[in-house]
Amino acid sequence: MLFEYAIIGGILLGIFYALLAVGLNVVYGAQKIINLAHGDIIMLGGYGAWELYYTYHISPILSTIIVIPITVVLGYGLNRLIAPRLLKSADPEMLSLILFFGLSEVIEALASLVFGNAARALPVNSIPTSRLVLFGQGYSATWWVSASVILPLLGIFLVFLNRTSIGLQVRAVISDAVEAAVAGINAKRISGIYFGIGFALAACAGVWGVFIYGGVSPTEGPAITVTAFAIIVFGSLGNTVGTIVAGVIFGIFYQLAQVYIPSWSNLVPYVLVIATMLVRPQGLFGRRQRIA
Amino acid sequence: MPKLDEIDRTLETESKGKRLISPAVAALVPVVVFAVGVHIYSNELLLTYMAIYIALAQGINIIYGFTGYLPFGYFGFFGVGAYASGLAMLDYNVPPVLAVVIGGVAAALVGALLLPLFRLRGAYFAIGTLAASEAIYAIVSNPSLQSITNGPYGLNLAAYYSSGTAYGTAIALAAIAILAASYVRSSKFGLTLKAIRDDSYSASMSGVNVPRQRFYAWLIAAAIAGMGGSIFGWSTSVFYPQAVFDSSLSVLAIVFALFGGVGTVWGPTVGTVVLYAIYNAIGVSNPQYFQLIYGLVIVLLVLFAPRGLAGLRQIKSRRATTVGAKND
Amino acid sequence: MRKKTFSVLTAAFGLALAACGSSASSSTASNSSSSLPPAPSQITVGTTYSGSGSFATSSIPELDGLKFWIKYENAKGGVYVGAYKKRIPVKLVAYNDLSSATTAATQYNQLLTQDKVNIFVSDFGSVLTAPAVSLAEAHKVVLFDQSGTGIPFFSPQNKYIVLADLPVSSIWPNVLAKFLISKQIKNLAVLYGTNDFDASQATTLKTILAQNGINISYYQGVPSSTTSFGTLLQTIAQSKPDALLEFGYAANDAPFLQNVQSSGMHFKMVFTVFPGQLLGLFQQQVGTAGLSYTYTYGTNFYVNYPTVSEGLNSSQFATQFAAAFPGELNSLSLDGYNTGLVIQASLKYAKSLSQSDIRAGAAAASGHLNTVDGSFVLNSEGAQTGELLPVAQLFPSGSGVTLKAVYPASQATGSAVYPAPVG
Repeated sequence: MLFEYAIIGGILLGIFYALLAVGLNVVYGAQKIINLAHGDIIMLGGYGAWELYYTYHISPILSTIIVIPITVVLGYGLNRLIAPRLLKSADPEMLSLILFFGLSEVIEALASLVFGNAARALPVNSIPTSRLVLFGQGYSATWWVSASVILPLLGIFLVFLNRTSIGLQVRAVISDAVEAAVAGINAKRISGIYFGIGFALAACAGVWGVFIYGGVSPTEGPAITVTAFAIIVFGSLGNTVGTIVAGVIFGIFYQLAQVYIPSWSNLVPYVLVIATMLVRPQGLFGRRQRIA
Repeated sequence: MPKLDEIDRTLETESKGKRLISPAVAALVPVVVFAVGVHIYSNELLLTYMAIYIALAQGINIIYGFTGYLPFGYFGFFGVGAYASGLAMLDYNVPPVLAVVIGGVAAALVGALLLPLFRLRGAYFAIGTLAASEAIYAIVSNPSLQSITNGPYGLNLAAYYSSGTAYGTAIALAAIAILAASYVRSSKFGLTLKAIRDDSYSASMSGVNVPRQRFYAWLIAAAIAGMGGSIFGWSTSVFYPQAVFDSSLSVLAIVFALFGGVGTVWGPTVGTVVLYAIYNAIGVSNPQYFQLIYGLVIVLLVLFAPRGLAGLRQIKSRRATTVGAKND
Repeated sequence: MRKKTFSVLTAAFGLALAACGSSASSSTASNSSSSLPPAPSQITVGTTYSGSGSFATSSIPELDGLKFWIKYENAKGGVYVGAYKKRIPVKLVAYNDLSSATTAATQYNQLLTQDKVNIFVSDFGSVLTAPAVSLAEAHKVVLFDQSGTGIPFFSPQNKYIVLADLPVSSIWPNVLAKFLISKQIKNLAVLYGTNDFDASQATTLKTILAQNGINISYYQGVPSSTTSFGTLLQTIAQSKPDALLEFGYAANDAPFLQNVQSSGMHFKMVFTVFPGQLLGLFQQQVGTAGLSYTYTYGTNFYVNYPTVSEGLNSSQFATQFAAAFPGELNSLSLDGYNTGLVIQASLKYAKSLSQSDIRAGAAAASGHLNTVDGSFVLNSEGAQTGELLPVAQLFPSGSGVTLKAVYPASQATGSAVYPAPVG
């Protein structure tokens, strides 16, 4: 009974975790940038949803789409600002880690100045409230509504990546920037756009984070970043499908831990990340050649 | 024009006698300043923490500055030290100064346990240590271990409280950390690593066993953090697990070290003193802006001065003497 | 070259240290002596608060309560000091610790060593109060502990602590336990955060109930960072409890109540800790439907005290505070105000301004002080045991929910609806 509940609940929740992590992976994408401010972008997405709901009475489901163009532009601008200097340095991956850590502090400080320190929440009835009943057990509306908004979103993203012209250019740049440039692809622009898409996915996750986490507060970012990082390491850095699968598995593990060992449940992401790194550093879907 | 870095750079070519003097000065100046400082400015606890932060920044220096491995989870050793020494005092009535040493040893043991993390590189290592430290925190504070660690209830060391001795120990630790950093820097290992970094040399040619030396550097860094945590716990005396397993401890230590310049002996010390003093000066009025300011400092450092204050000086002096500026 | 380096660095250190000390504002230090020293021109009250971070929502209203007390007394010429039989103006020194225990520790020491405050007050909650405890003891200055109710703070050896506003967390559930017994609730589920504050409540409750032969079928600690309770609720529902109690911080209680609501499950009784202290915030975050008929600790904020021995009575406080600090009126601002009243009473009874006499003043006030926060009774360790927290229930009303104390009968303003109505 409980076991099945934890599995199905874990899958529903895991779809949210997949979205939570996939943005971090996308930002890593072409330029190998580690976005330690990922959780803070998610936090901003949450505040975005809150403002849209209370100022313009816009449903969070719609807000998920509204935040996309805003954050793509934001991410693109930021990328053009920092990437040239960062990529010139000896160890861009390491420096980006530190740079985005600083950015995370800035965003957190500004958010608490602008939005105040108290957590903000959206009312339960701002989204459909009826429970989903599966095999005789009911699942909370928050879970299935978020999952059914996020699934198509992830689907569209995968189609974009594999079927559209920009998506193909992105993949060309990721696999070999030099060759892509020879083929006439503007790698800087493409990388910038892809980076912005990573921010947008994070912001979308933020909208649903308000429901899953029961609110949004300025200091929530770093913990979310660590969780997201655990998931992408588990599912192989740079591998989109791997991240999505890893997110779902993470959701299941977390729910099983809550059923059987509740007081240790916060260990799940840490154990996951350490175990993956030590046992299979390339992650679930990685190929051996990458030095993790 | 004082040239901190010149000392560091010329050190390699200097005679052995001078090699010993320079680290001694680097360690002695802070000791004297701290010893005199407390009579001018009597917030002893603040000075104790400052000395601990110097030690932590030097610990970061030893592991990141000389090997390139950045431990985000450095605070884990700090917490392990605080708990190991606190429990040594409470359970076995060990005298505090000895307990501080025990805290250092315990942290080094945990460091040895985490050795497999060195299989990971760059960002993976950084995040791996963070995850490990968070896991240690979750374990230490778990109520099922209440009989051993007192779980979420924290430790009360009020019976051992002695601010003067704790202060003296903190100064000693800062000096030890500085000496350790200058030792690592001037050792064959440090020079080899610098050569590797400058791309003119390969490790295999040098005859230095890099992984083993790196392991020693890692243990020294862990022990320094463990002793820092022990002194912190002792001088704070009543603490909850979240106060000693606080990720902002590694954050500050990293920022202080980067700000001063890693890979040098003076950089982390100067970086800590300047930034921690500013932190408290702002903190007295409104530290909310400090988070904003130090966030911006990090961003600007990475973009414009990836080698910290020491790097800025280097560039200046290079320009002045028209030595070909090789950007790295 | 090296000499220059040396001198520059020494200067840098010196400057840095000077920077630390620049803001020191000294006031008359108090010494213990047989003949009374001349009266100081002002009484300095020193404290820290969390301007941001996880404790800010509780800390800021508490500071405002203290500010309100100072403003109110200064308008009358200052706080009455019994030893001098006159009023002396009060000055507040408050540092922002950003919810960090480390920062708070250095600031506490700053208050003690640089500002040499007469009255030393800690920030909200146990985590931020912890570093103040030993410092106060070492400097022999009385710590007016506002709401740090952690058990490790109180020991027979420590003569320098006074818990002003709330009882120690381990006695919080005393009345709650009696309520459960009176309702003949036999099957309970308890979920608690694995931190000092929540775990000590759970332990106390479990002990009392065990003595009365009541079985807790689900008793589980979860990390204090938990905000997702769906699966936990499912597990709990399996044991079909007559009452579900969740001891958490505000950041756990709000998502917990939301999760209960969105799970569609129905429990006969749901109890959480913080709605009674931050009702406005919970109204915003959880909404009327999620709060209706749930239980919480009814703090004295919701009890009407028409006659008091010190300060304003309940209705006076509510109107005057709301005028001075709009939007901040809640149980925590009342705590901050009550800290002021405890200080006021201690100063009234103290034979001099020495710290040991101030502590003796607090002991003298114990048992005689009745305020807008109930009666003030200190035990020998300096812990508050006078104020017992009634059990309260939240009832839907026109504008949202109304909190009514339902147990014990002596403090009740309404009667409990048990089991909670469905829907």
